[in-house]
Amino acid sequence: MAALQLKNQIVLLRARLGWSQAELADRLSVSRQTVNSLERGRYDPSLPLAFKIASLFECKIEDVFEPGDAAS
Amino acid sequence: MNSAVNPASEVDRKTDATSTGSTLYGMYIVALAVSGLGNLGMRVGMEAGWFGSGSVTVGVIGALTALPLFVAAGLFWKLLRRNLDELVQRIVLEALAFALIVYVPLSALYVNLRTAGVWVPRLDPPDILMAPAVLTALGVALAWRRYS
Repeated sequence: MAALQLKNQIVLLRARLGWSQAELADRLSVSRQTVNSLERGRYDPSLPLAFKIASLFECKIEDVFEPGDAAS
Repeated sequence: MNSAVNPASEVDRKTDATSTGSTLYGMYIVALAVSGLGNLGMRVGMEAGWFGSGSVTVGVIGALTALPLFVAAGLFWKLLRRNLDELVQRIVLEALAFALIVYVPLSALYVNLRTAGVWVPRLDPPDILMAPAVLTALGVALAWRRYS
């Protein structure tokens, strides 16, 4: 079964608030490497982290993440 | 509107994955080195007759030199579960899985070739102990590359 990869708007939302990757990482209590991987679409977050990100940007989870292309 | 999430209790959980990962791996390597040195000391001591004829003494030393690995294993597991963020946790777990699934067939291949009388390099216990650590490091490098 093909895996569904997520697209996200983290870069845009972060830029809108003027935060650096390190600052966002601090607010999420994750490493900067994790934020970098999320922004580059290399890593899909766990559900709790996804909710945390949406909550931090004060928007709904589907405003941050959306289904992307299916990857085999 | 949701409020921002940043519980104070989580702030002290690490944000520098590289340093935490290095601590995790470095600690294990140090324990491995202590154990390897202990093994070497035991063999040298036995050949030099430092321990007399008492096999109990050698046995106790052998058990003590393995102790750092048990301590490291406990700390490794604690750090892995509590101090790593989810991406680094995933990388380490993938690396451990990689090490295991490569180590087992490699070991079987080595034993079979040796049993069949085919020339294979002679491996001492420290070499065999190092193999999973080296394979885990390789696994971390491969997983890190995939996610970054």
